[in-house]
Amino acid sequence: MSEQKVSRSLVVTDPSGVHVRTATAIQAVARRSRSEIQVISACHKAKGTDIWDLLALAAPCGSTITLEAAGPDAGEVLDALAPIFTGDETVLLAALRKK
Amino acid sequence: MQKLQGIAVSPGVAIGEALVMDNEGFRIPRRFVARDAVVDELERLDKAVEAAAWEIARNRDAVARELGAQYGAIFEAHLQMLQDSRLHDELEEMIRQRHYSPEYAVSRTLRRYAQVFQRIESSYLAERANDIFDIEKRLLRHLLGHRREGIAHLTSPVLILAHNLTPSETANLDPKFARGFVTEVGGPGSHTAIVAEALGIPAVVGTGSFLSEVSGGDLVIIDGDKGLVILQPDEETLALYRHEAEENRTLAARLEPLRDLPAETLDGVHVDILGNIEFPYEVDHCVDRGADGVGLYRTEFLYLGSDTEPTEEIHFDAYSRVLNTMNGKPVTIRTFDMGADKMPNMPAMEDERNPCLGLRSIRLALRNLPLFRTQLRAALRASALGNLQIMFPLITTLLELRQAKMVLADVMEDLDEHGIAFNRDLPIGMMVEVPAAVMMLDRFVKEVDFLSIGTNDLVQYTLAVDRSNKDVVQLYNPADPAVLRLIKTSLDVALGANVPINMCGQMSGAPIYTMLLLGLGLRRFSATPAAIPEIKNLVRKVSIDQSKVVAAHAMNMENAREIKSYLTEEMNKALGKTRT
Repeated sequence: MSEQKVSRSLVVTDPSGVHVRTATAIQAVARRSRSEIQVISACHKAKGTDIWDLLALAAPCGSTITLEAAGPDAGEVLDALAPIFTGDETVLLAALRKK
Repeated sequence: MQKLQGIAVSPGVAIGEALVMDNEGFRIPRRFVARDAVVDELERLDKAVEAAAWEIARNRDAVARELGAQYGAIFEAHLQMLQDSRLHDELEEMIRQRHYSPEYAVSRTLRRYAQVFQRIESSYLAERANDIFDIEKRLLRHLLGHRREGIAHLTSPVLILAHNLTPSETANLDPKFARGFVTEVGGPGSHTAIVAEALGIPAVVGTGSFLSEVSGGDLVIIDGDKGLVILQPDEETLALYRHEAEENRTLAARLEPLRDLPAETLDGVHVDILGNIEFPYEVDHCVDRGADGVGLYRTEFLYLGSDTEPTEEIHFDAYSRVLNTMNGKPVTIRTFDMGADKMPNMPAMEDERNPCLGLRSIRLALRNLPLFRTQLRAALRASALGNLQIMFPLITTLLELRQAKMVLADVMEDLDEHGIAFNRDLPIGMMVEVPAAVMMLDRFVKEVDFLSIGTNDLVQYTLAVDRSNKDVVQLYNPADPAVLRLIKTSLDVALGANVPINMCGQMSGAPIYTMLLLGLGLRRFSATPAAIPEIKNLVRKVSIDQSKVVAAHAMNMENAREIKSYLTEEMNKALGKTRT
């Protein structure tokens, strides 16, 4: 099993910033993946599977966040996470629906 | 430790456990559970989480079906937050290790989470706190179930912290267990303030929003002298206040023997000290402190406690109890003194932008004669049982006074026709609390048997300050020279005409004004029963001559702050205190 460690920075374009539903979507993706995920904002570093932690990110629209993943599916997971920060409803709902 | 500044409405210091009531009157209960109950309590928590989760899932599905999946997603988020393992572990640890009650653990933990969001300077995050409060409420509702009670059934001493208390909540309180009040809103005239004063417990109102930062069971200090509320005080602060509370108790114990001694100045002038009451049971507090009568019996409570207008019998029962207990000493009943907004079954005024200047008090009575007559009938019937006097509030013009007296005469006639006994010669008086009445007092004295200065409203109307507005309340100052001149005029006119005059506002229960008022000629003080011993103590330590000098000096000063500090200094001198 190949261990990968990848990171990516991106700008939050969701007009509402990282909100409750974003956090839930991130959590849903993180739970499905086999990698360790960290989401880092200017003020906080959150575990991808911890909803309360994610809620504390305080990342408004226009701020930069960094995603880190370590594990066998690290690259795929980042690809799945990145669109969540655009606030696209279909992406959010898709992330939530896949159980 | 956190300090909040509010408006001091009832003096004293209280230290104790908080009972927190949120905006919806939701009570958050005590902090600790018994050691052997931990397993049961954990099970109770799990059941509540399960029930709340089921409810949220059902909401999610219903909302998703009706409004679309994106709206259901918010409940999905709540569900995740609720079922989060970290939250669960944290709650379990609190219950297992610290023996917190599940309710306390839930409220404490979620409020702490919410605070994190509230502190972050971003409105979108601050709103997130509401999501958390929503989860908290849901969990508490399931935890408390049928035990979700108001404050009517207290079982241990608590300090009540609430957004606001409704009149019926305050009226139904058990005074044995309520040791202090704090409300986020309200002012000195609020019902909470009056009830707290009546109960003789410290109270602070108008602190602004803070309830999200306390949990039931937290240690709180209420400083009703300075208007301070201290949440989770540190050791040093606690020690300081414990000392002060102890000193107050010693002072009260020291003043107790005064009860049976006359209120007489050093030069032998007798002063009457009467009690102000709102509830019939307070008449016992008056007797306990050796009051010379009831100088002000506020009757608003009779209207506030229920959803229907009080019947004549309800009035009569309350009045009789007070008269019987006072056993021949004078009892002054003031007819209802409040706005239509507080009356049961009365439509809200359409254009009441300025309630203090609106349709209230005697104005409301004269427009609602059946209501007014019911009260007057009961009072007249009670006058056969003892020394009862009737007083009309907020009299502004001579016409108003004459109208009120006419209604009274009419009710008397009615009683006569039915052969019902009453005291035909009962004294009829009025409150002096509107500057217009002071200006016209030389006419009023010809038409009343007695007067009573109501300083609370007199200050408010003279200085144009709404004392329930925390932004201007600092301008509300009884020591203002304009107020003092109006008081002096009232006393001069009344004494000159030989009409007995009393003072029943908060000023007459504040010892710093005692010498000034004695010096201006006041010989009848009416104060909240708790203040009687202190006023009597001071009266017995000063002479009229000395008080006249103090009054003359104060009347020459130009600003309220200087007057207040001068009066404080003179009071301390008289009491033999060195503190300045």
